[in-house]
Amino acid sequence: MICENCRREIGPEEPKCPYCGAENPFALQHEQNMRRFDKRYEDTQKEVSGFGRAVEGLGKKAAILVVLLIGTVVMFVMASINYADPDEEKAVRRDAVKNAAVYAEEADGFLERGEYVEYVSFLYAHELMNLPPEEFDRFRCVQNVARDYYECIGLMEEMILRSDDPEYFDSLDTDIRNFCMYAEDYCEVLEAQKNSEKNEAYLAYILDMDTELHAAMRTYFVMDEEEVREFLDMSRAQKAVKLREVLRHE
Amino acid sequence: MNKILRVTLNILIIITSIAFAAGLLDLLFSIQYANREIEDPAKSYAGVFEYEIKHRAYGEIMGSYYSKRMDSFDPPAGYEDLYHIGEYAHTSFMSRVYEEKGDPQRADSYREKKERLKKELGSYEYTADEIDGFLCHEK
Repeated sequence: MICENCRREIGPEEPKCPYCGAENPFALQHEQNMRRFDKRYEDTQKEVSGFGRAVEGLGKKAAILVVLLIGTVVMFVMASINYADPDEEKAVRRDAVKNAAVYAEEADGFLERGEYVEYVSFLYAHELMNLPPEEFDRFRCVQNVARDYYECIGLMEEMILRSDDPEYFDSLDTDIRNFCMYAEDYCEVLEAQKNSEKNEAYLAYILDMDTELHAAMRTYFVMDEEEVREFLDMSRAQKAVKLREVLRHE
Repeated sequence: MNKILRVTLNILIIITSIAFAAGLLDLLFSIQYANREIEDPAKSYAGVFEYEIKHRAYGEIMGSYYSKRMDSFDPPAGYEDLYHIGEYAHTSFMSRVYEEKGDPQRADSYREKKERLKKELGSYEYTADEIDGFLCHEK
């Protein structure tokens, strides 16, 4: 470059002209710029190394946090598995769905033999009473009647075979109350299902159950057919009074 | 900013450590629960059954029989006597119903079944006569 004072060629970084001693403004500007760049460089370097120091421990802590979180979740999941008792009903339900056709045939067998109590027990034991698979759709009406028939027969057996030991807990009143409730349900369900059942064989089973229940009441409640009909027409409370009269000889 | 992050992480680590410790305790208790001694219901029922037999509480026995049969159609281990007596009582009850109903064929078949079941009662064979006594109002 050329010195502005003596017009001789000088180096761009020389602060003064070596010939006339005049100051080189470009060199001064350059030096100032360099100082500014150096300062910025140092500041940036400090900033970067400072952040590095600052985040140095955070990575480790984050890793510890993740490990703790995963460990906690795994332990709670394992604990809930240990607390869960095996669901045996679920296995029975799965089996019922899988073997629905076979069980439906067996259920038909119970009905054909007139073993209505066994039929209901069989359905309960295989979880086929509530929400049965579609293979059991044809049993819907007969099943509804059989359920109440089963409860009535079971409660009659409990009442008739109750302990005669005066020191033994007497549950007759509870059984009478339950019997009256099921007998009332039975009459309502019978009327509804008798009219809904289209299959003649199943309708015959329904009527057969009714005949049997009447016969059971005649036998064990010491009533004639007319008294049985009157008894079934009574209100629940009247039925209970009548049964106490018969069974307790009140 | 870094300080906030550091403090937040520390708080999270403390909370998670507490949860971890709680999870560990829960896991230990759950292992203890899973390995607990479960009393065999058949064993505990055996005492009740003997008590009911002693007091001729066949009604209660029928209640247990029907209730157990809702879970298992065939007799589970330890409940064989309950099922035998329950089946005998039901057969005896129904044989009289069939007689009253006027179904001699089924009444005969139930009478035969009764005799067969009576033999299967073994040491409880005497209960068959007691049950028949109750059913025939011969208390």
